[in-house]
Amino acid sequence: MSEQSDRAVRVVVLGGGTAGWMSAAAIARLLPGQATVELVESEDIGIVGVGEATLPHIRGFVERLGIDEAAFMKATHATYKLGIDFRDFGRIGESYVHPFGSFGEEVAGVPFHHYWLEMQRQGLAGPLGAYSLGVSAALARRFRPPAADSSLGSTYGYAYQFDATLFGPFMREFGLSIGVRRTEGRVVEVRRDPASGDVTRLLLADGREVAGDLFIDCSGFRALLIGGALEEEWEDWSHWLPVDRAAAMPCAHVEKEIEPYTRAIAMPAGWRWRIPLQHRIGNGYVFASAFLSEDEACETIRAAAEGAVLAEPRVLRFRSGRRRKSWNRNVVAVGLASGFLEPLESTSIYLAQMAVTYLVELFPSGATIDPRDRAEFNRLVDMEYDRIRDFLILHYHATTRSDSEFWNHVRTMQVPGSLQGKLELWRECGRLEKYSDGLFYDASWIAVLIGQGKLPRRHDARAAMAPARQVAAALEELQAAVQAEVASMPSHRDYLMRSAARLAEHPA
Amino acid sequence: MSQPRALPRRVAVVGDGPLGLLAACALRQALPLSEVTVVATAPDPLALAERIGSGLGFTNRLHDRLGVEEDLLIRHAGASHRLVMRYAGWGGAGQQGCAPYGAAIDPRLRTAFAREWGGGPRNAATGAPVGSVGEALADDGRFLRPDGRADSPLADVDYGLRWNVPAYRDLLLALAQRLGVRQASGAVSGIRPDGQGGVAALLLAGEPLAADLFLDCTGPQAALLAQLPGYARIDRGDALRLAVRQEPGVRVTLADRAVLTPAGWLQELAGRDGMLSLLGRAPAAGEAELVAALGGEPQGELTLKPGRAAESWLGNVVALGDAAAHGEPLGFFQLDLAHRQLELLLELLPGRSVDPRERAEFNRRAALMADRVADVIAGHYAAPAAQALFGAREVSPELALALDQFARRGRVPFFEEMPFLPQEWAAQLQALGLPQGLGALARAEGDEAGRQMAERHARQCEAALRAAPPYPAWLQQVLQG
Repeated sequence: MSEQSDRAVRVVVLGGGTAGWMSAAAIARLLPGQATVELVESEDIGIVGVGEATLPHIRGFVERLGIDEAAFMKATHATYKLGIDFRDFGRIGESYVHPFGSFGEEVAGVPFHHYWLEMQRQGLAGPLGAYSLGVSAALARRFRPPAADSSLGSTYGYAYQFDATLFGPFMREFGLSIGVRRTEGRVVEVRRDPASGDVTRLLLADGREVAGDLFIDCSGFRALLIGGALEEEWEDWSHWLPVDRAAAMPCAHVEKEIEPYTRAIAMPAGWRWRIPLQHRIGNGYVFASAFLSEDEACETIRAAAEGAVLAEPRVLRFRSGRRRKSWNRNVVAVGLASGFLEPLESTSIYLAQMAVTYLVELFPSGATIDPRDRAEFNRLVDMEYDRIRDFLILHYHATTRSDSEFWNHVRTMQVPGSLQGKLELWRECGRLEKYSDGLFYDASWIAVLIGQGKLPRRHDARAAMAPARQVAAALEELQAAVQAEVASMPSHRDYLMRSAARLAEHPA
Repeated sequence: MSQPRALPRRVAVVGDGPLGLLAACALRQALPLSEVTVVATAPDPLALAERIGSGLGFTNRLHDRLGVEEDLLIRHAGASHRLVMRYAGWGGAGQQGCAPYGAAIDPRLRTAFAREWGGGPRNAATGAPVGSVGEALADDGRFLRPDGRADSPLADVDYGLRWNVPAYRDLLLALAQRLGVRQASGAVSGIRPDGQGGVAALLLAGEPLAADLFLDCTGPQAALLAQLPGYARIDRGDALRLAVRQEPGVRVTLADRAVLTPAGWLQELAGRDGMLSLLGRAPAAGEAELVAALGGEPQGELTLKPGRAAESWLGNVVALGDAAAHGEPLGFFQLDLAHRQLELLLELLPGRSVDPRERAEFNRRAALMADRVADVIAGHYAAPAAQALFGAREVSPELALALDQFARRGRVPFFEEMPFLPQEWAAQLQALGLPQGLGALARAEGDEAGRQMAERHARQCEAALRAAPPYPAWLQQVLQG
């Protein structure tokens, strides 16, 4: 091994937001001796702090880094999350919960939803969510961590709803405690090696220079390195995901119980979130500026928020799409610099986590980056983005809404070919094109398709083979078991309050 | 409102070898209101998937679901257990390795979100340890059937079963008869097309046998599928001359071997009713070398031309096993592949009429399955000594990616429809003597983490050895019922 490859890789993270500190902390914790980490951030530049809601994968992240769950929840004012309650998406007045979990169980190799479709046709089935413990517990506002065995009590997962503006600082403190070096400063110039084109150093406003072997661009939408210096092309997806603004506004709690789920309520030009944290409720109207002005959106969210207003609406601007290559030369983009998918399924923090996970897995040994590892990173990142993109588009496209220009547009637009094929197979046969890698699997697709009223034309012949009475009895039994399980759970608030260690200083 | 599809009235399975019979039983159980008829055909000597009596872990679970009880196979079909494959000489003279089965978790049993860290098993560096407890048991000749409990020392252990093929077929035949599978005799003299690219009826000695769905389990000739207008075969690499030798005698061992000899690769399948030796002949191997490697004169020689149907489901005809994908028996993946194709058909089982979209989905996934198995087999030829003996071969982009990642980082990427877990593949590549690199993550874990893992593993092996009786004693217990 050459001397050069023996020395630790000097990693420079640009940007002190959520993605920046997640990246810095993960690399410092997981690659000791292999990398040194320096993070450059400026107090003059605010952070977006996207993603008040998370996916269950975040638990793996904090655990793997050795972070105590209670301390993390306390610092970010976190509550538990069992899923998302989607309202008015398929049709105004209808709602469904997309849980972190499954619906029923397959019988004789036939997935549960075929039996549900058959029983529903015969008027013998309840709503699909009645057969999901995750959905039923969420709607009952109860919570308990899932069982570790393979019983009914294990058929759901959970994530957190937290204050994203506190998560970055929490990760910063953690990162600093495990040896990340923080440099305060504003980057005014990016120096590159004239021969290789690699970034070599960042020039700060006060004249200091920060040199590195590998640069992680976490500078948000500005994408100073991947976009600015390397001019990596941006693939725009706003024709499929046209929302490009969010008017965010926190308000006080209005009732004692805290919902263990996020609400996503479809609006005339997008949708709005309602995310209950320990000390407040986060609200925001995600909208398409082509269909609604910022002022109108701010007015709407102010009117929609139920509790006392805690801050004036703040408008965030974004654009759905991604870099053609998230890793180019010696610059890896993580977070918004790499791409953005609108927050409908709370994927922002997951996307940053996913990228840093793959980076750690494919991290160079020594200062020389192998182009094959770069290509493998980009292959994996693209796969994740593409699959999530299609799943998000589904929420808009699978609708009968025709009450606004926005909904007319998304209902009738041409969707990506990958989604088109998937929708046709579902429509004709009630089956799903299968993949095992990526983020959202069959249960998620079924939750949204059925939840938004996109029933297939036909389902599996085997689901109609057994006597209807027998299947109906099995469904009733399952529903009763789900209800009994839910009844044995404490309320979400009670569970949260059981341990002072996870409560913020001044919870609501 | 979604309507149920109409049930198929009759399914005809062409080919009454073990695969055809198992498929017929599976369809009969899935469609108890439909008639399932098996049509006898002359056995194809090249239908190696079924002529070699061995499966992997997936087959055990499929058997279990279909009511083919493992204890029955032990009592009546000479079944025995393989915990590991031992490889010798692939990395060069004197090199040895051992590839266990294990850490096999059916992904469908886990909800998507239960997979933490965005991917779980895809990461060879951090995934559950490959069930090398299996190796400890095989070395000591001890066995206990894993009970599925997570806290058992055998929790990560999986195994392949081997059996006596004629006796296995008899068991399946009895099961088929019990289930009410019909049998038709008479050679297939022709087909009556349905005008939609499929088959309306088979002509059995001139008599029509109509069905809504046909299964082609006739072996590599694909007697039915190959007659359809859309049929195309994708050939894969060089033909292989395979020498076969069967020796009687009881060989109770928990390991099978694949050895690289000067004559080519030698793979042995032990069993309670004898030993099957297969020799994949190197291009330049002479007769004397061949006899020396086989330990005697070959009793038969076959020429195998690897390849697969471009689409294994055409019209209303679905090909399974060698009829769909024909490959070398290295590692005993072929029957496993056939059984996974059958499982895929059961998942996407059509109604009375076939929807072109579900057919396309089947073909997409079946092609991925076949290609990934071909990659795993081709991985053997990438071993240093195998390259020297057989010459360098072209590899698929996926295999190239896996080999490169393994060589430089010790990592095997996840691919859709691969026949086993990335960490199982990594263990196999290591056993084949392929150089294994170390990624930054593994380097960073350091000696302490490695020492702890090794200690934990040693404790687990000890516990497994304490729990498991000697294999012959365990077998005796089952035999006495």
